[in-house]
This record gives sequence, structure tokens and C-alpha cells, in this order.
Amino acid sequence: MASVKGIGIVESPNVTVIGDSVRVRGNLSGDEDLHVLGRVDGRIDLQRTLIVAPTGIVKAEVVVKNAIVSGVVVGNLRATESVEITREGRMVGDIFAPRVIIVDGASFRGSVDMGDIENMPVRKPSAERPRPAMTARPAAPPAARAPAPAPARPATPTPPPARPTPPPTPAAPPPPQAEEEEEEEIEDGPPELSTEPPAAKGLPQKAQKARVVVKRR
Amino acid sequence: MANTVIGNTIVIDGEITGDEDLTIRGTVKGRISLSASLIVENSGVVEADIETKHVEVSGNVTGNITAIEKVELKADGRMVGDIKAPRILIADGAVFKGNVDMER
Repeated sequence: MASVKGIGIVESPNVTVIGDSVRVRGNLSGDEDLHVLGRVDGRIDLQRTLIVAPTGIVKAEVVVKNAIVSGVVVGNLRATESVEITREGRMVGDIFAPRVIIVDGASFRGSVDMGDIENMPVRKPSAERPRPAMTARPAAPPAARAPAPAPARPATPTPPPARPTPPPTPAAPPPPQAEEEEEEEIEDGPPELSTEPPAAKGLPQKAQKARVVVKRR
Repeated sequence: MANTVIGNTIVIDGEITGDEDLTIRGTVKGRISLSASLIVENSGVVEADIETKHVEVSGNVTGNITAIEKVELKADGRMVGDIKAPRILIADGAVFKGNVDMER
């Protein structure tokens, strides 16, 4: 079957697509994934996942199982599982969902209600996150956007050099002294490489330390 | 141009407008206005007034169709309503009740 141009969506029997020049006004309900590349005004009621592509605009009261917002959503969003606003996503409205993921770069105005927080079970982050087979994210825009955010957030480029540094731990845990030495080695790295203002240095170093400790466990 | 598909389980009550082909496998009630082709597949149910360039009906349509180019009722198609289009094709097996207007 045909694929939607520019976005890696491959049609399957259980996916509904609202193309980028299409506008739907009214109530939309169903039991399958919905990709919105165009515009929907009104109400959306789904038992599955709503994916608002970067070109998509949804001005609606939305009730779904999962929602992934890479476009624009104006209205309240209620999900029985999760809501994710990606870095291209923009949303104004209130979110009611047990899991809400808002990534760096996303813009959001409204309130978040995750329900009964006190009695919530502990869960691993990023475990069985709703990922449709295809990501509704075109290849081009991130590359095009990259130059703009880079100077604004000096913290982001630094982590990569730190990643490979911790050597694979042998079966026996190393003595605590060795651990300290290695951590220092890692800390030495970034200051030489980076030409950032001192204020910006603190963050990546802390992040690296945390990462090393986590790996040891 | 992207393809718009309304899947089997989807029900839309309202209005659809656009400039691209639309395939309906689910249910649409209200109004459809397109500058491209509308395809109502076997499982599709449309209760709407339709204005498009070209319509292909293999499912169920209730409402009036106005097409700039052509309306095709396929063998599996069932349609109740009036059709206005310069070219109208009704296949053997199709069910149709309504007026036909082929005036340009």
C-alpha cells in the first residue's frame, strides 16, 4: 500500500490518517490508531493511540488511550495510559493521564493531572512506552532545527564524550578506590574539551557522575 | 499528496473538507467536500452530502452527490440519493435509488 509522503507512516488496515490538506469538523470516534497530519476541530474519542504529526492541528476535546503530540493540540487531553509531547509538539490545555512525558523542546501551557499519585505503583521509566511501529517524525526537520537550539543549550553537546569512558566492569566488583579514580578521569575530560562558561560546566559533570554510579550498580 | 483514510472502526459525525483523496472504510455522517477523489470502500458507510471531483462507491452511501467529473457505483455499491455529475457509471450489481442529472 502507499505510504504517506514525507513521514514514515505505512498504511495498515488499522490506521486512520487525516492527510495534511484535510480538515475534519465534528466528532470523531473509533477503535484504531489515528494519525492527524491535517486538522481536526471538535471531539476525538479513541480506544487507541492518537498521533498528531508535526503538520497536524487538533482543536478538540480528546479522550484516548495514548497520545503522542508532535504538532499542535488545543484543548483538554484525557488519556487512560499516557500522553507524550515531543520536542516538536505544542499544546495548550489540560492533560489528565497517569503517565505524562514532556520532552525538552516541547511547549505546553495548562495543567497536568496524573490522578492518584499517592497510591501509584512504582514503574520503570521508558518501560513499554507506546511506540507505534512508525515514528510520526520526519527526518528533515530535526536536522534543520539543530543549529538553532544548539547555542541556546550548551549542556546538550557535552554528554557524548563521556559515554564510552567507563570501561566494562569485570565480574568482580572493583575496589572502591578504583571507582573514585575513574570518576575523576571522567571529570577531567569535559573541561579540556569544552569552551563553555563556567556556569554551564556544572550540569554535564553532575550528569556524568550520576551515570557512572548507575552503571556500577 | 498524502492519502487520507478513515479506518473501519472510525465514526465521524461532522464535516470533512480537503484537497486530497479520501478513502472511507468506516462511517461518516454530515458533509464531505473535497477537490479530489472520494472512495467509499466495501465497509464504508456514508450518510452525507458529498461534493467532490470524483466519487467511487463500493460501500453504502445515503445522501446527495455532486461531482465535477465522475461518479462510479461499483458492483458492491449501494446508494440512495441524487447524483449530479457529467459522467455517471453504474455497474451491474450496484443498487441505486435516486435521481440522476448529467447536465453540465
